[in-house]
Amino acid sequence: MKSMQTRRPALFSGIREFFFAEQAPYGIALVRMFLPAVALVPMIRRFGRVRELFSTDGAPTQLFELFGQGTPLPILPPSFAVALYGIMIFALICGVFGFRTRLAFLIGAPLYTYFNLLDAVSTMTKYSVITSHVLLILAFSECHLVWSVDAVLKRWKDGRETSAIPPRVPVWPARLIQILFCFVYFGAAITKIQTQAFFSGEQLRYWMLSNWNYANPIGELMATSTPLLLISGYITVVWEISFPFLAWRPIGRYFALGVGMLFHFITWLSLGLWIFPLICLSCYLAFLMERDIVAIRRFVHRLRLPTSLLGLPRFAIARAIEMRPVAIPASMLWLALATLVAIGAAEADYRIDLYGVRSNNGMMPLKTLDREVALAMINNSRPLREKDKFFSFDIGSMLVGGQLANRLTEYGYGDTIIAQCNINPPHEDLWIEVAIEDSKARIFDSSGQFVTRDSLWANFVYQTGSKMAPGDYWMILKSGGKEISRRPFKLTGDPGSLPPMAPMLTN
Amino acid sequence: MRLKRWASVLFVTCYLLSLTWGTAAHALKFGLCGNTLSYFVVWDMFCGWAAYDNRTHIVGEDAKGNYYEVREPWGAFTPFGNVDRVNYDVSNNLIARHINHVISHTSHPEIDRVYVVQEIWPKQFNVPAHLWSYNFHEPMEKLSYFHLKSICTANGSAIELYPDWFNRQTLLTIADNPRLQQASREAKPYYNTFFDPAANNIQNRFQATSDSNGLITN
Repeated sequence: MKSMQTRRPALFSGIREFFFAEQAPYGIALVRMFLPAVALVPMIRRFGRVRELFSTDGAPTQLFELFGQGTPLPILPPSFAVALYGIMIFALICGVFGFRTRLAFLIGAPLYTYFNLLDAVSTMTKYSVITSHVLLILAFSECHLVWSVDAVLKRWKDGRETSAIPPRVPVWPARLIQILFCFVYFGAAITKIQTQAFFSGEQLRYWMLSNWNYANPIGELMATSTPLLLISGYITVVWEISFPFLAWRPIGRYFALGVGMLFHFITWLSLGLWIFPLICLSCYLAFLMERDIVAIRRFVHRLRLPTSLLGLPRFAIARAIEMRPVAIPASMLWLALATLVAIGAAEADYRIDLYGVRSNNGMMPLKTLDREVALAMINNSRPLREKDKFFSFDIGSMLVGGQLANRLTEYGYGDTIIAQCNINPPHEDLWIEVAIEDSKARIFDSSGQFVTRDSLWANFVYQTGSKMAPGDYWMILKSGGKEISRRPFKLTGDPGSLPPMAPMLTN
Repeated sequence: MRLKRWASVLFVTCYLLSLTWGTAAHALKFGLCGNTLSYFVVWDMFCGWAAYDNRTHIVGEDAKGNYYEVREPWGAFTPFGNVDRVNYDVSNNLIARHINHVISHTSHPEIDRVYVVQEIWPKQFNVPAHLWSYNFHEPMEKLSYFHLKSICTANGSAIELYPDWFNRQTLLTIADNPRLQQASREAKPYYNTFFDPAANNIQNRFQATSDSNGLITN
């Protein structure tokens, strides 16, 4: 009974300490500087397309429509939409520099979410969702207390002596971002566990060969090595599940965050993702606690790097703001600038003339299409070629997780030859044959097997025995009575080197 | 100050509960259907990818039988690389609006029909030439398949709809089975419009005034 009484307050005090310990908000301030800056990259890229993506003069598709919930969000006329978009960009830039930070995020976060919700097809992604979460948390945090224009203005107002000690605030906003990432990774692991063919590498392979993101030459190279994908898949899931259990351990956090950085770097190389990794790495900055910043500062100081230069922009902006008439509060200045940006954005949209109506003295014409080309597209009901049902055909001698781990062209007597074909889903139940042909096109071995529609690969295993003479051979894959692919191999050595077969006993 | 602390506790609690709900519902596949907000708390970044790549082509036809490429002449928006926006419309929510948008913002003779066509090819043909020769040891004979997905009016309203190539292919793989074909031929869809089980309820039987036998003939 006594232990229960003592344990319960200890548990609550642990939670209280975890969320409400007071620290200088350096980590969350770094998130404030980096995350909106990264989130702005795709949004600024869409500025010239606001009319098309987010206004009544375009073709927006709300996320609610994808869930069958209609179009509850108001879609604005183009000039108003562009003006609001301009305000969003201005608000997020102010968030980066920390000028009227709370106001900036209270306006910027809902507008960012609104515009993402309006274009579910080409703007809303999971990185937009993560950004919306973090912008919301930033709006209620005290991220403006350090390394911001607001902090500089406050310091000048209060006097330098009082502000030499960094302000300390409850750490819960940083904790929420940290916990968000635990959920993100844990949820992603659940998705992978539930995804058929993730752990055999097929799904990753097809993802890496999809040209839906930016260029990914390393991914295309990796896609041809299934065992590598298989191993990567396992490492990823183990790391994603273990992240919540390691992220707050003294040593474990270095492993969790280090692997996380490596993982996101690899997604950039292999999947052609740019913004997603940068958003995640920006949020990792929330894991930097006060003591980490002190250690980093000491290290940087030892290197004698001119870190004071980093503060120049915010001091310059603060000086410019201080030049306003004393009667005008900084918030009024913020709102006046936002209005100016909104008007400027609407004017810019007018001048951009996206649909080319003014610059072409009328609407632009549709491009004509050659009749034969058009009819070939419309009336084409060609059945799938047999060879297009197969992704690849290879021969090797070793399997890892059911997948061919090596490719060989030369075998000795006693070796195992494994022929493997990978099949593109969806496919019907197939009868697949593999034949061995010698250099004179004589087939001396052929075997087949059923491959059901749920199978993604089939293996054929051969033992090189004394039946085969040294020489050149072909391994031929056939399906539907047609040759799909063939691989050459050479058999070398002396058939007499094989151990004699054990005498067969019959009863 | 105390109020601020309680507000923080409330915010933290609500936030953690929403994240927990999303993850639990996603893991158990429960309570997420038709809920837009679930998109904000479910982390299903890896949903699987198809073995075939596809692009959408939209072809307009006027009354004289001339064909037009229904594509933004001002340049299609490519959100994540070099693929046009309309290709990311996996759920077919955009296509009608996109057709209407392009046709209403361009000059052309009156368009009678618009054909939405899928172009499909196996993804191994996305491998660059140098990797192809190293891995596949045979000539790269890429063949695109075109599949008519729908026929629409100039404002994007569908006149005829067909299953997309992936669904059609899946259906074909199942229909390939003669036993299933036979079973589907023998099956007779049946919906009883003469007998209403609710009217069979004893209470209804005595209380109903217009149809005390529980028989409805419409």
